Amino acid sequence: MNDRVVITGLGLVCAIGNNADECFDNALEGKVGIKEVKSVEHSACYAHIGGENNAFVTPEGEDRASALCIKAAEEAVSDSGLNVSADPDRVSVVVGSCVGGAVSIEKFYRDYVADPAKAKGEDVLKMPISAIANNVALKFGAQGAVDNVANACAAGTMSISIAADLIRSGKADAVIAGGSDPMSSLAFSGFHALHALDSEPCRPFNKSKGIALGEGAGILIVESYEHAKARGAKIYCEVLGSGVSSDAHHITAPAPDGEGMQAAMERSIANSGIKASDVDYINAHGTGTPLNDSSELGAMLRVFGDEGKVSCSTTKSMIGHCLGAAGSVEAVMCVKAIERGIVPPTAGYTDEDIAAMREKAGNFDFVPNKGKSRKVEYVQSNNYAFGGNNASIIYAKEDAPRALSEPNGERVFVTGFGIVSPLGGTAEQYAANVNAGSEANRCENCGDYVATVGKEDFDSVGIKLNFYRKLDKLSQMTCVSGKRALVNAGIEVSDDNSRVIGIVAGTSDGPQTDIANFQKGIIAAGTQAGSAFLFPNTVYNAAPGYLSIAAGVKGYNVTLSNGAASGNAAVAFAARVLRTTQNDVMLAIGADEDSETVHMLYEKTGALGAGLRLGDGAVTVVLERGSSADKRGAKKYAEVLGSGFAHCPVPFGKYGCADKLKEAIDLALKEAGVKAEDIGIVMSCENGISELSEAVKSALAPFGGAVVANVRDNCGECRAAATALSVAHAAMMLDGEIKGGKGDYALVLGASVGGSYNAVVLGKV
Amino acid sequence: MNAKQQAVADKIADYLSENLRLPRENITYDIPLFGDGIGLDSVDSLEIIAGMDLLFGVSLIGAHDAVFKDIRTLSEYIVNNPDFRENKI
Repeated sequence: MNDRVVITGLGLVCAIGNNADECFDNALEGKVGIKEVKSVEHSACYAHIGGENNAFVTPEGEDRASALCIKAAEEAVSDSGLNVSADPDRVSVVVGSCVGGAVSIEKFYRDYVADPAKAKGEDVLKMPISAIANNVALKFGAQGAVDNVANACAAGTMSISIAADLIRSGKADAVIAGGSDPMSSLAFSGFHALHALDSEPCRPFNKSKGIALGEGAGILIVESYEHAKARGAKIYCEVLGSGVSSDAHHITAPAPDGEGMQAAMERSIANSGIKASDVDYINAHGTGTPLNDSSELGAMLRVFGDEGKVSCSTTKSMIGHCLGAAGSVEAVMCVKAIERGIVPPTAGYTDEDIAAMREKAGNFDFVPNKGKSRKVEYVQSNNYAFGGNNASIIYAKEDAPRALSEPNGERVFVTGFGIVSPLGGTAEQYAANVNAGSEANRCENCGDYVATVGKEDFDSVGIKLNFYRKLDKLSQMTCVSGKRALVNAGIEVSDDNSRVIGIVAGTSDGPQTDIANFQKGIIAAGTQAGSAFLFPNTVYNAAPGYLSIAAGVKGYNVTLSNGAASGNAAVAFAARVLRTTQNDVMLAIGADEDSETVHMLYEKTGALGAGLRLGDGAVTVVLERGSSADKRGAKKYAEVLGSGFAHCPVPFGKYGCADKLKEAIDLALKEAGVKAEDIGIVMSCENGISELSEAVKSALAPFGGAVVANVRDNCGECRAAATALSVAHAAMMLDGEIKGGKGDYALVLGASVGGSYNAVVLGKV
Repeated sequence: MNAKQQAVADKIADYLSENLRLPRENITYDIPLFGDGIGLDSVDSLEIIAGMDLLFGVSLIGAHDAVFKDIRTLSEYIVNNPDFRENKI
């Protein structure tokens, strides 16, 4: 197995510097970059500080999240000497973000509130997290798999884990991976509303009352060892195993027992084939909120003991909390620590603090105030997020002993569905309505295809009012579809299986409605008046986070965001998670919402005028390892055989390169070991936009004998829900629940604005 | 409740309905706001604190838990607070 994955390039921009070396040198000195915030109006707030990089001015016409990311990526690509254009199909981009284009979101809604006609479509294209990785891919010409990870504050670590996974599964040779988030009124106001900001520079694990927000981007060139060796690249270190888990406890607060954090830490150690006692340095999440710090410290003391053998620091004490970029900024710190044999400190400790810390944590080494030279062979970096998502990863010196867990070689089957769609709220209703040729539910005024979720749906899945009242429509649909999928698959969640059931969610646009509601609220009433109620819903992983709580599932939990193809990507990625991690069952979800806000945004971009008909919904496809399905005698609808990804570097908002859809199809067929002429069912991704129709038409030429179906004919362009629904639809056609199927194999296509294409091949069981 | 307190109580109920997405008909003066009643949590209490300041100019930071028992206790505390302004917005 090609399991050796290395880091060959670094790029960093944050509050304490403009490149990786400058930031690391400043960190070693304990230099604190947390000062009065300049880019957000905060005069009426109780806290006024954060970690900005005021030297970095966003270039005219660009969004700050993408611009920061491109700056860090330029440094990393140059540092690595990687020639992207030598083999662009084998270079991927994976970027984590929490608030994405929040600076552009504020601009758009300021314009909109002043005069709706004034707000510009070009700003809408800078708003979604989806845009970031596409902008990076365009800048460097990368044409492999391109995706964004939208798991709030754990996204940066997850993106590197996913990058390593792309390489190990043979889908890429090199990945431009990391994360980016700007300082924004959205985040400042939101954490302020939750009383989670500290009015003084944060001193994690110590006296802190909250976080200091930061901004920045960290990018790492994650590369296969063979590829790096063959081109004579400098190798900083290796990427070993990672661990991802869910608390299933609360949408913003970590579980006080820190069990989910502990599970993530233990899994990253186990998946690396090392022992806890091997770890020399931990870069902790250490946000500075009392809730995080006490849960995390408890978990670390349980895993590592209090003897002081391992050194642990939190660089957020100097940089601030960079949210979706945090894990990648901290990854750069970890890699530099391995390179130089010196670990960065936690800033802001007095002698009195150190004595107090000894009381609660024994000899546990927090590396107070100044960097410390020591053996640094294995490093663990940890991040935890809203939604109760936990991520942990291990970096190690080149050639350090390890025994990475091998892929389990299992087959992956579709064993259930939860469909909330304009054509029915359950899988059974959907299939019956398709077979009967029924009309879908349409919005009377706007003509959009809309799914409906109401009290009776929540009652039917046992979700109570005090829970569902908190949900935006995206979360409502996701929770109902996820819970129904578990019932449909015959899975009962218990203490015995909760840690082996996970989620991979895909969304194109995330919770744009509550993002707009929150942002408009602070434009009207000030940064100090943000809604604590709405803020948790503004993160893209809130919907699957709520589902994990409602269903009690505590396994893997990742949210991918790259346009309409995200539902297909979720299925493909969840299948890989089942083959390479401890999880037995994955809920692969595609979900996107429609609303007056979303309709307006699509009108602004010109997509509706160009022929796109919007829809919404949430579709959960239950994927399961063969051994797990066999053990419980589960019904198998179809088998997931292969997937392929290709990217066309075009400006965000366009599709481009018809040949790239064909390339994604060929890769999927190759992995599945299926010939084009054996495909009996094709699920199209046409959505009314002529540029995409042409690409689909040319890509489908070799599939003349197949039945071609398109869920958008009945459900509109429900984006990520449409691609997940296409997988469900194809599986039900192969199994006979939906009439009109043909042959033994189905091909499901996905396309996203920004130029990302994917394909999934399913086989009859 | 006198007329002044009742007007405040009704405003609070409307605010909770709108901002915490609760069905208006579920909100009575005496239903417990936390626990077994309508099941509000710590994030909701932050929203209530912000809302009462916004609507009536009354700060609830540091107020005793008993104040948050139900809309009756909350409205009583607010009308008796020296900072109370009936029509702040």
